Amino acid sequence: MGTATHNRILPGRRADVVRPLGISFILMAMMPLVLLPLASIFFYGFSKGPVHFWQALVTPAAWFSLKLSLITSSIATSCNVVFGLIAAYVMSKYDFKGSSALMILISLPTAIPTAVAGVALLLVWGRSGMLGGLLEYTDYQVMFTTAAIILANIFVTFPLAFGVMKPAFDNLDRSFEDAAETMGATRWQTFRFVVLPSLRGAIITGALLTFARSIGEFGSTIMVSGNKAMKTQTAPLYIYAKFNEGDVEGANAIAAVLAILSFAIFSLIIFTQKRLEK
Amino acid sequence: MAQVMFDRRIQTETPAEPAAEKKIALAVQGLSKWFGADQILDDVSFSIAEGESLVLLGPSGSGKSTTLRLIAGLDTPDSGEIYLHGRHVEHLRARERNVGVIFQQYALFPRMTVADNIGFGLRIRGVKRKARKAKVEELLSLIGMNDHRDKYPSHISGGQQQRVAIARALAYEPELLLFDESFSALDPQTRVALRREIRNLLPKLKIPALFITHDQDEAMELGDQIAILNKGRLEQVGTPQEVYNEPQTEFVASFLGSANVIEVCKNDGIVALDCRQCAESPRAHLWDALERTRILFRPEDVILGPAPGLAEEHPHLGQGVVLDVSFTGAAEVLRVKLPRMTRFGYSAVVDCPLIGENAPAQANDQACDLIIKVLRTKWDAQALPLRRDDKVGVWLRDHRILSAYEN
Repeated sequence: MGTATHNRILPGRRADVVRPLGISFILMAMMPLVLLPLASIFFYGFSKGPVHFWQALVTPAAWFSLKLSLITSSIATSCNVVFGLIAAYVMSKYDFKGSSALMILISLPTAIPTAVAGVALLLVWGRSGMLGGLLEYTDYQVMFTTAAIILANIFVTFPLAFGVMKPAFDNLDRSFEDAAETMGATRWQTFRFVVLPSLRGAIITGALLTFARSIGEFGSTIMVSGNKAMKTQTAPLYIYAKFNEGDVEGANAIAAVLAILSFAIFSLIIFTQKRLEK
Repeated sequence: MAQVMFDRRIQTETPAEPAAEKKIALAVQGLSKWFGADQILDDVSFSIAEGESLVLLGPSGSGKSTTLRLIAGLDTPDSGEIYLHGRHVEHLRARERNVGVIFQQYALFPRMTVADNIGFGLRIRGVKRKARKAKVEELLSLIGMNDHRDKYPSHISGGQQQRVAIARALAYEPELLLFDESFSALDPQTRVALRREIRNLLPKLKIPALFITHDQDEAMELGDQIAILNKGRLEQVGTPQEVYNEPQTEFVASFLGSANVIEVCKNDGIVALDCRQCAESPRAHLWDALERTRILFRPEDVILGPAPGLAEEHPHLGQGVVLDVSFTGAAEVLRVKLPRMTRFGYSAVVDCPLIGENAPAQANDQACDLIIKVLRTKWDAQALPLRRDDKVGVWLRDHRILSAYEN
């Protein structure tokens, strides 16, 4: 708005060279890193024509992997929105002993290789793991099922959801909550009618980021899912399997779909931030 | 049966208060609050009568906002009691106290329209939509904002936001209204206009109000009573006239209006600005027992006369020199330098400011120039025009001995 008019080069004023140079630099840097690889996905995906692309997409295994990814990511996202909200609310509102340690703990999965996260989950939930051992006596098994994929997604993407929501809670003016409370609202009413509406931008952004991240999740999923086609093979795992088989077009067809999905999600995030954060 | 009812009525109508006194709406007793090692409030007690207003006045950091938060139930006191209409409330949560708070930045809910903000208190009380709407409309008319009901808080002016905040607090018929520096965010003109509106509105509402402010004009205008808070202690409570005309402490005097404070001597019950008068008392031999005290006088309490001369019945401060004159329209403000004085010399003033032009003279480090502020009406100024460097006699029309001698 104000900055746009400000940046416009006024007559009689020397042209701003930083602007075109800066933008070119970003594009140049992105060329080999993002733009060319992305373009090649589409190029190889469509290299045998759109019909072949479509056929590669609708093979039962490919179609199943896409659906599985969407479903598991949706469930993981819903869980993390709730967990993220609770964690961000508690961490932002209360200062308690060990709260800094807890902050580090919550953010830790970001720095752990996702494959390691998968192994860690296996160690806990696997046959001989702490919790998995308890399940031994029931008929139920967590690892190498859809539940394992969801669990891994929750584990890996939780810091993302939390990371987006925590600053929103921090920036929330405390006097809104004070005002609601003096007006007679219970904590739940305050949260429901005052806090939540103010955070909807952060919640939507957090959810979209989490979703985008979990749909592409590979490292932890391959460890815990078992990678069984038509059973526990998510889209990224399917791509990996197809590459191993030498079916580059088949892999790229799904990759192209994921790329488009990601593009759509981030467009939505930017739209949300512009529209709702006002 | 009738007898029993009669008895009960007598019982309920004879609480400790005398009949002549008004019913107490809010009573705060011995309130103390610590934040870590810092004591924010130290044994604060005051009360507000039904339908009246009290202004808690003090500089920032004096603990006035803390007091408000304790009364609202947003913080808990470390000791002391709070009574709302005789009901013991400090163990109750904010939502159980039925108090209306108008916050400093109003804290209107940004995602709700003006009407939804006003209706919020009723909504969470489960009031039906229809009844709610009627009440909201009534309040919108009261604040003259019917046309703005569907606007969001960010789209209305600061003054309008304040009205909405008040309407929002009134909607659920609170037992007490608390205003937390509610005028400080407004521009001066709106501030004065809204202050007057609220001053006129309060008696109609018959709801007791507590205002928090650091602005003395606001305190004078809005308070039936003013309580002056300094560093967590209550210095004085009284009507605006009482606290202005009879300040109990130097802090109260200088915080409320401007004040000249000088040191004089007191001996054998005689207060003298000139210590020789003390010396002439029958107990002059007790010179060492001579007590020093401080007196306070307002700029408008000073009489300037042609030097020398003027009436004997007023205490004489000696002959001064006009330092500067500034014309403010309705009045004239002068700074007058009184002659160098030492404790045992001309007068007993040793109240030596230590900076700038007031710094003590080199020759005698007990001596200093004493500069006082004088306010004259334009009529007085016309009767005796004064300019810089004019010599003038200085008398006091009125002064107060400060009971609490603080250093």
